[in-house]
Amino acid sequence: MGLLNREKLVDEIAEIVGAPYVTDDSMAAFAYSQDTSLFGGTEASVVVRPGSTEDVSQIMKLAGRYGIPVVVRGGGSSIYGQPKGVPGKNLLIDMTRMNSILALNPEGMTVSAQAGIMMGKLQLACNSAGYYVFVPAGPAHTVSLGGWLSGAAGGGGIFREIVSITVVLPDGTVVRTGGGPGTNVRQKHAYFRNLGGPDFSGLFIGDGGSFGIKTEVTVRLLGLPKVTRACILEFARLEDVLALLKSHGERLNPHPFDPVLVFGPRAMELFSAGSEKSEKFTAMALMQGHTEREMDAKRDIFDALAQKHGGTHNPALDAMTDLMAGGGEGEEQMEMFGLSFFNGLGLAAWLPFNIPRVSLAEIYPKLIAWRDQRLKQAAKKGFECTGCFEFFTPSDQCALSGEVDAFFRDSDDPKLREFVREMILDFQKYTHALGLLDVYNQGAMSRMNASCWSPGFKSLYRIVKNALDPQEILNPGLWCAPSEKTDEEQP
Amino acid sequence: MNKSNKALKKMSLSVYACRKCGQCGTKVTETVPYVCPVREATPGFDHFYSRGKIVIAQGLLEGKLHPDANLARAVYSCTLCGNCMDKCGAINADTGEALVDTIGIVEAMRADLLETHPEWVDDNYKALLTATRQYDNPWGVPRTVKEKWAKKLSLPRARETRTEVLLFIGCTTASTPALAPRAVKSVEILQKAGVSVSILGRDEPCCGSVQKRIGALAQAREMMEKNIGLLNDTGCNTIVALCAGCANALKNDYSQSEQKLNPRVLHLVEFLAELFKSGRLEPVKRQERKVTYHDPCHLGRHMGVYDAPRDVLNALPGIELVERTATRKNSICCGAGGGMRVFESGNFAEKIGMAAIKSAEQTGAEDLVSACPFCEMNLETAGSLSGTAMTVRDIIDLVHDSVMEKK
Repeated sequence: MGLLNREKLVDEIAEIVGAPYVTDDSMAAFAYSQDTSLFGGTEASVVVRPGSTEDVSQIMKLAGRYGIPVVVRGGGSSIYGQPKGVPGKNLLIDMTRMNSILALNPEGMTVSAQAGIMMGKLQLACNSAGYYVFVPAGPAHTVSLGGWLSGAAGGGGIFREIVSITVVLPDGTVVRTGGGPGTNVRQKHAYFRNLGGPDFSGLFIGDGGSFGIKTEVTVRLLGLPKVTRACILEFARLEDVLALLKSHGERLNPHPFDPVLVFGPRAMELFSAGSEKSEKFTAMALMQGHTEREMDAKRDIFDALAQKHGGTHNPALDAMTDLMAGGGEGEEQMEMFGLSFFNGLGLAAWLPFNIPRVSLAEIYPKLIAWRDQRLKQAAKKGFECTGCFEFFTPSDQCALSGEVDAFFRDSDDPKLREFVREMILDFQKYTHALGLLDVYNQGAMSRMNASCWSPGFKSLYRIVKNALDPQEILNPGLWCAPSEKTDEEQP
Repeated sequence: MNKSNKALKKMSLSVYACRKCGQCGTKVTETVPYVCPVREATPGFDHFYSRGKIVIAQGLLEGKLHPDANLARAVYSCTLCGNCMDKCGAINADTGEALVDTIGIVEAMRADLLETHPEWVDDNYKALLTATRQYDNPWGVPRTVKEKWAKKLSLPRARETRTEVLLFIGCTTASTPALAPRAVKSVEILQKAGVSVSILGRDEPCCGSVQKRIGALAQAREMMEKNIGLLNDTGCNTIVALCAGCANALKNDYSQSEQKLNPRVLHLVEFLAELFKSGRLEPVKRQERKVTYHDPCHLGRHMGVYDAPRDVLNALPGIELVERTATRKNSICCGAGGGMRVFESGNFAEKIGMAAIKSAEQTGAEDLVSACPFCEMNLETAGSLSGTAMTVRDIIDLVHDSVMEKK
């Protein structure tokens, strides 16, 4: 640990955050050695839970002074693991103490929050005040706002709603991007972030936490939709459901109010606990709005559009439609897309992909075939598949994101976890070979994504990283090793 | 055989069923202000809540983590309230049971620690186990205390006389002067309803709950097996327990034993609810009180008893029951569970209790009512520390005031 021993480091950090919030307790540190993924967390020497931007700034100045590697953790819910940093020497910053709403501004329609807040808590606070904040469908209770912005390309779709980000740079400097008070655009109120200079917010979105530590974020709000509708139809052919998505995307941007989720046959088997088996695709449009009349019209238009493209109703789906339409708000909505359902299915081989809409018809069957081939191998090894989950959804009018996940009966057999870990990595290698890139910029995926960078792109990354973090102390080695030459391709 | 993870190995499937997603530490909804009271009360590092503890458990099982004295702090900083298990949501579709048994995992880690490195375990925990061996109760009081409260009641002994119910008082109520009158009141209420009551008196054994919670699994198992024989021999049909911890142990933990416990087990509030419903018990007095109810973890999440105490309170004229935001299965532990009153001198238990008091105050209630002596004691302490104007009461007091004629 450079020129500073561990005890001294703890003492110095205790001066910043208060003694209770920094520890070198071996068990406390070990507890961060794993996250949701099968790829492991961070081997930390010291763990700190800062409470403010100023705390983080002081910590980074201290780390810089002594050259201490720093790894940042939000909800610990990545699927590809956390940055490894320098195992055993890391100062791990656990951001989850910074979980407060700083300002909810109904007049300006923005909310500012500390970056360690979980998306579910942010959503609840906004909903309670009558406002809607976009939360990507997913594990809202375990993903932090800073984690979304760092670990997912485009912040998991939230980047459009970002007004400003407060970032502590590796040297401890505090910058506030975007428009509004204290930012590069010195307006009294929050303002459009792209005006007045380069969109530096974008620099920090999807950076994996490489360029700075996000501590505060201002997000745009919408009025809370009071009325929800769902419309669910099934399709015999993949081509038909894709034609529906194109038509839907031509009419309106599905983000954020009008997502359409398309489920493959195996997903519907899961939802029906195995009682429904078919080879069809199921398209579920979830609509949120403000009046009954508006929502009835939206539903009827989608229904007609879907039927025009060959969609058909069936009684089981109609019953599900009523359920979904009734459960579109607040807690129930979060539960619907929350982790509880998936947690009960077994050990997950999460197999996500992101794809241009026009490529899906050709590539999707290949992804399914790849997974099914692996499932045959799993069966030979005695690993029981408990179900598969297949779905895709428009990220916008051009691209889709989706998953072809498989779940395995829980076991304490380490070979099962090794098999699933390899399955996850190999799937990404396969999709990369098909020309796809996944949305997650985390752990094991960061290196894999960086292997696709052109020499120029890699050079640009190194220039920015070297300028901001010349000692490479923040999440070191996340995208590529510090020693790598800028013009060298990764194997 | 390597003794170091003997108990934990039996829980390994549960350890690996945990996805380490962290919902157990971070979930917040309209009715879940937070999940883990220990995480809230402590500095909140991951090893203070379920996910971190299970990461540690997995590290121990895989040999990646070498235990040291810090392990005791990680495994004893838990109320065993089970809220994390409820919020995890991972359910075995076939059995309906939680896939991740955090309570079982933590108890197993404690057991292994006690077995392999007792020197790392707080002496106060070990004193409870020693006292149990000597006095058959964890509090180190003479066996006669178990019948002292009943001196003036001349109740039949269950080993000699069969009655409608065997009243199981519990070590804590019997041995705590401030709580012991509850036992008398319980008998008076039951007798008012025409229920014939017997007790075991000085023969009443410790149920084994405290010992199991702090990790003395073998000692607790031995006690439970012995107790099953004793309780079955009485021939009674119904055991009514005053203490939520005893009721949970007798009902749930005893069902894991080789022998079957024959009598049905009820907590007193369940039996009182039956008595009110059947009309055997009728209130005679009105009390104008606004109250809120604290669900003891043992009674609520562990036994699923949520309606009975509320039915009882609603049966009492003049009692207005108002609910807290986090109630029933979302209720936050009082802080006394899992041996937390011993952990680090009870500082965190008090802090958790003060949070419980605060949430109760927000209802505007005058009384915070519970049905567990551990809850009552910790909430009482927390109430004094926080200077609340609320009164902490046991449901027995309210029922007694309502159904008994003034003497």
